[in-house]
Amino acid sequence: MSAGALSKERDVREAYSAHAGELYGFAMRSLGDAGLAEEAVQETFLRAWRAGNRFDPQIGSLRTWLFAILRNVVIDLGRARAARPGVAKEGAEQSVDPIEDSLLAWQVEEAMRRIGDQHRRILVETHYRGRPYAEVATELEIPVGTVKSRVYYALKALRVALEEIGYED
Amino acid sequence: MKTDNCRERRESLGAYALEQLGDEERIALEAHLEGCPDCRAELEQLSQLVRPMSLADPARFDIAPSPSPTLAARVAAVIAAERRKERRRRVGFGFALGGAAAAVATVLVLLVLPGDEAEGPEQHVTFADLPGKLQVSAKLIPNAFGTEIHMYVKGVSSGTLCTVFMRGRNGERLSAGTFRYRWGDGSYPILSSALDLSKTKTMEIEVGKHSFFARVGGPEPDPT
Repeated sequence: MSAGALSKERDVREAYSAHAGELYGFAMRSLGDAGLAEEAVQETFLRAWRAGNRFDPQIGSLRTWLFAILRNVVIDLGRARAARPGVAKEGAEQSVDPIEDSLLAWQVEEAMRRIGDQHRRILVETHYRGRPYAEVATELEIPVGTVKSRVYYALKALRVALEEIGYED
Repeated sequence: MKTDNCRERRESLGAYALEQLGDEERIALEAHLEGCPDCRAELEQLSQLVRPMSLADPARFDIAPSPSPTLAARVAAVIAAERRKERRRRVGFGFALGGAAAAVATVLVLLVLPGDEAEGPEQHVTFADLPGKLQVSAKLIPNAFGTEIHMYVKGVSSGTLCTVFMRGRNGERLSAGTFRYRWGDGSYPILSSALDLSKTKTMEIEVGKHSFFARVGGPEPDPT
C-alpha cells in the first residue's frame, strides 16, 4: 500500500481483513476482556484513518504501524480502566512494561500456534509441564536423544515463527 | 569449528538453553562452547527465547481468539461517521469563508465537496417538474454500509417535514430518514440508506403531503 494507505474506506476494509485478527489477539491478551479488545481494535482503525496520510511504507509496514497505534490505544484504555472507581489493580505492578510483556506473550502464543504440532508438543511437555525427557520419550515411543533434538528444532522453528510476526530481540 | 561432534552438541543447545540438561551433558557442552563460536552464537539466539516463552500461557496455544463478526461493520460505521464529521467541518469552513447569502453558500458547498474520499462514483440527482419555487436535489455517495445521501431542499416553508425513501431495482423500498427544512440555516441534512447505490433505481421524497420521485443514475424524473 502507498502513502495515505487508509485514506479510503476500501483500504480500511482490506487492512481490517489482513490484520484485525492479529490486532484483536494482542488486544485481548493485553486487556483480558473481549469487549475492551474490540473497542481497542475499532479505535485503532479510527486513529489510523485519521492519520492515514502520515503512514509511510518506507518507514515500516502497515501491520507494524497498526500495532504501534494499538499499543497506544491499549495503554489509553488500560489507564482509563485503572482510573475507574472499584477496578482492582491486581498484577499491575508485576512488570516494568506490562504492555511490552503482553505483546511478547501474545507473540509467543501466536508463534506456538504456527509451528507444527510435533514441535509445539515437545515444548509443552518438556518446558511448560516440566516433564523428564525419559518420561516424554516413553510416551512418544522415541529415544531420549530424539526428544532433545526435537526441542532444539522446535526452538529454531519458534524463533522463525516469532520473527515472521514481528518479534525483535 | 564444525565437526560431527559439533552437530551432535548443537542439537543439545535447546535443552541447554531451557536448563533441561543433566550435569554431565551440561559440563561437556560448556567445554565444547568454549571452543566453538558458531554454537555460542546459536545458543545466544535460542536463549533469547527463554524470557518471552516464560510469559506465554500454554492454555492459549490451541485457540486463537477472534473478534465478533460484527466488528468489521462497526469499524466501517465509525469511519463513515468520522468522514461525515470531517465533511461538515469542511463545509463549515466554506461558509465561514463566504459569509454570504444562502444561495451563494450552497454553491460553495457543492464546490467544496467533490474530490473527497467517497468510494466509486457519486451521483447527483435532481428532482424535476416540481411545483412553485420548490427545488430538490441530492448527492448520493456509495460507502461501506450502503449509500450516504446529502439532501438539498429550497422553496418550502421552514419546518416542513421531509421523508426520503430509496427504491432498489428489485422493487425493495427502504426509508432513508426524515428531516425538517429550515430556512436560512445554511446546513443540509445527511441521511443514510442501507441500499447500495449500485442497486438503487429511484429515490422518493415526501415534502409535506406531496411525494416526488427521481430516477437514480439518469436525469429523467420517474413518472410513477
